[in-house]
Amino acid sequence: MLQAENVLFTITILLYVAAMVFYFLFIAVKKESFAKIATLIQLVGLVLHTVALICRGIGAGRLPLTNQYEFATSFAWGLSLVSLIFLWRFKFPVLGAFAAPVIILIIGYAALQSREVRELMPSLRSSWLGIHVSTAIIAYGAFGVSFVLGFIFLMREKMQNSAFWDSHVPAREKLDVIGYRSVCLGLLFLSFTMITGAIWAEQAWGSYWSWDPKETWSLVTWLVYAIYLHMRLRRGWKGRAAAIFAVVGFICVIFTYIGVNTFLPGIHSYA
Amino acid sequence: MKFGILLLLVLALACALGSFIPQGHTLDWYLQNYTERQAALIYGLALDDVFHSVWFLVLAVILCCNLLLCNLLHLPGLLARWKQAGDPEKAPNAAACEAPNQAQPEQIFEKLHMPAPKRIEADGKTSLFSVKNRLGLWGAWVCHLGILLLVIGFTLGQTTTEEYTVYGVPGQTKPVGDTDYTLTIDDFGVEFSESGGVQQYTAQLTMRDTRTGEQQSDSAAVNAPGNLFGYRVYQNSTGTAAKLTVTMDGKLMQEEVVCVGDYTYVLQTPLMIYLDGYQEDYFEQRPGYAYSTYYMGQADQGGVQVDGDIALRYGSVEISFSEPQDYTLLQVKADHYAWLVLVGGVILLLGLFLAFYLPTRRVWAEQQSDGSWTVYGESRKGGALFAEQFREAAGLPDPRQTMSAPPEASGENNETESR
Ligand code: HEM
Repeated sequence: MLQAENVLFTITILLYVAAMVFYFLFIAVKKESFAKIATLIQLVGLVLHTVALICRGIGAGRLPLTNQYEFATSFAWGLSLVSLIFLWRFKFPVLGAFAAPVIILIIGYAALQSREVRELMPSLRSSWLGIHVSTAIIAYGAFGVSFVLGFIFLMREKMQNSAFWDSHVPAREKLDVIGYRSVCLGLLFLSFTMITGAIWAEQAWGSYWSWDPKETWSLVTWLVYAIYLHMRLRRGWKGRAAAIFAVVGFICVIFTYIGVNTFLPGIHSYA
Repeated sequence: MKFGILLLLVLALACALGSFIPQGHTLDWYLQNYTERQAALIYGLALDDVFHSVWFLVLAVILCCNLLLCNLLHLPGLLARWKQAGDPEKAPNAAACEAPNQAQPEQIFEKLHMPAPKRIEADGKTSLFSVKNRLGLWGAWVCHLGILLLVIGFTLGQTTTEEYTVYGVPGQTKPVGDTDYTLTIDDFGVEFSESGGVQQYTAQLTMRDTRTGEQQSDSAAVNAPGNLFGYRVYQNSTGTAAKLTVTMDGKLMQEEVVCVGDYTYVLQTPLMIYLDGYQEDYFEQRPGYAYSTYYMGQADQGGVQVDGDIALRYGSVEISFSEPQDYTLLQVKADHYAWLVLVGGVILLLGLFLAFYLPTRRVWAEQQSDGSWTVYGESRKGGALFAEQFREAAGLPDPRQTMSAPPEASGENNETESR
C-alpha cells in the first residue's frame, strides 16, 4: 500500500506540474482549450492524490494526517480541491493557473519530508483529531485560494487594458466578492478546526487550550481574518486593501503551519 | 466598531508577542538571554506570562464589554431590519437591482432560487414578493454572542479551575489535593501493540467522598478521561515504581511503593531516599534501581541496586528495592466553565454559518400600468455576485460589456467568456 502511495504521490506531482504548464500555455497562447486540458489534468491529479492519501491511510492503518509529510500533502490536496471548486463555481481557469504553483510548492515541501510511517502515540489516536485536521485542510485550502485571488486581484489592476484579462478574469468587484467568499469558508472551517482541536486537547492533554504556539498562532490567524471582515464591512476596505489583507492573512496561515514548528516548538511539534 | 477592530488588533499582537517571547521562565533566564533592559521590560510588563497577566485579562474583559454593548446596541436595529426584510410594503432599497419590462417575473424568482413569491393586491396594484434566508440577518449577532460566552467561560475557567495531580500504583488510595475526596487506583495497565509500541494506558479508579462515604468508579485512559464527582480525571503519564523495603535486624520496619522521582523518609534513620530511575536489564538480565540518599537534607551517596540485592545498610538497617511496576500519574481537574466555552464555540460556528451561508435576499416585482413588470432584487451580502446573477436571471446585458469588449458569447453559463 505504501509503495503504491509512493508511486501515486510522484504521479500526482507530475500531473500538477503538467496542469501548471498547460495553464501557463493558456495564458501565453490565450487558447481556451489549454485551460480545459489543464483543469482536466488537475482534476485527474486530485483524484490520484486522493487515492494516494487513501493508500497511505490503509497502509498506516489510520488517517494520514499526523505528521509533517502527511499534513503537507493533505494541505496541497485541500488547496487543489478548494481551487477546483472555486474554479468550477465561478468559471475562471486563470484561478487554476495561479493556484497551481502554490499547490506545487506545498506538495514539493511534502516531498522533502520524511515519509516514514511511525506508530502513533496514544494521545494521537482520536477521532476528534481526525476531524480537527480535516477541517484544518479545508480552512487552509480556502485561505490559500483567497491568497491566490488576492494576488490575481492585484495583477488584474496592473492588467487594466489587457483584452485577455478582461475576457478571462472576472471584473475586480466580482473577484473581490469571490475572495471574500473564500475567506468566509476559511474562517468558518478555521473556527471548526480550533473548536474540535480544543475538544481533542481536553481529552488528550487535560486542557482544552494551553497557549501552545500553534494554538496561539491559529488564534492570531483567526483574529487577522476577523479584522479583515470588519474592515470590509465598516471601513469599506474592499478591493485592493482586502486583496493585500488576504495575502497577509495567508502569510499568517503559513507561519502557523510551518513557521511555528520551525521557530516555536511546543506540544504540536509532531505536525 | 473602530474600537472593536483596534481591540482585535491589539489582541492579535499580544498573542504574537506571547508566542515569540518564551513564557514562564525566571528573571535570571531572561537576563541571560536578553539584554538587561529587555529583561526588565519583559518582567515589568509581565511579558514572561502574557496569557495570565493582568493586562491580558483586562483586554479580555474589555472585549466582552465591547461585544455585549455592540450586541445590545444593534438589537433594536436588527429587530427592525428583521421585520422589514419580511415586509413587502417596504420601499425598494436604492442599491437594489432593477429589471424593467419583464413579461414573466416568476421565472426570475425561480432562476434566483427564491421561494415562490407571495402575490399582493393593494391599491389596485399587483405585486409579487419573496424573501430568502431571513435568519442570516442574525449571523453577526449570534457570532458575537458565541464569542462573548466563549471568552467569559474561558476567563472564568482560568481563574477558578481546580487541578490536582495524583499518582500511584494499583491498590493505593491517595487524597485528591486538599479536597474531601480520595482516589483509589484499582488497576493500571499498559497495552502494547503488535510492534511493541504503547497502544493505551488505562487506569481503573474509584473516588470516594470522605464526608458521605459515597463512591464512584470509572476508568481513565489517554483520550478518554474519567468522570468522577464532577471532576475529569486524565491519564497523564506513567513511570516506574518499586517496592521499598526497610528492615532492622531482619525485622520488617517499612514497606511502601515509591515512584521514580519520589523522596521517601527511611524510618529509623536520618536518611531520605530518592529513586532516580529504573532499568529493566541492568545486570545479567536483572533490573537495576538507581537511587540517591540525603542525609539531613544534604546529598549523601548514590548507586545502583540490582534486583535481589540490598541497596544500602545504615547500622543494622537494610534498605532495598524490589518488584518494579508501572505507576500512573493522573490529573484531576474541575473546570466549572468548560461547558460555557463549548456552548459559546457552537454558537459562534452557528453564527458564522448564518452570516456567511444564509445571505438574506429579497426579490419583488411590481406590475406597471402597461401590464409589464419591474423586478427588483436586493442581497445584503451578494454584492457583485448577486447583481450578476440577477442580471442573468433577468436576461439583462452586462453594463461593462456593452461599453467595452465585444461580446464573444452570451448565455447563462458562459461567465468565463462573457467576462
Ligand atoms: C472577536 C472576534 C470577532 C469575530 C470573529 C467577529 C465576527 C463577525 C462576523 C463574522 C461578522 C459578519 C461579517 C460579515 O458577514 O461579513 C461581524 C460583523 C460585525 N461585527 Fe464582529 N466579530 C468579532 C468582534 C467584534 C467586536 C469586538 C466588535 C465591536 C464593536 C464587532 C462588531 C461588529 C459589527 C458592528 C458587525 C456588523 C454587524 C452587521 O453587519 O449586522 N465585532 N463580526
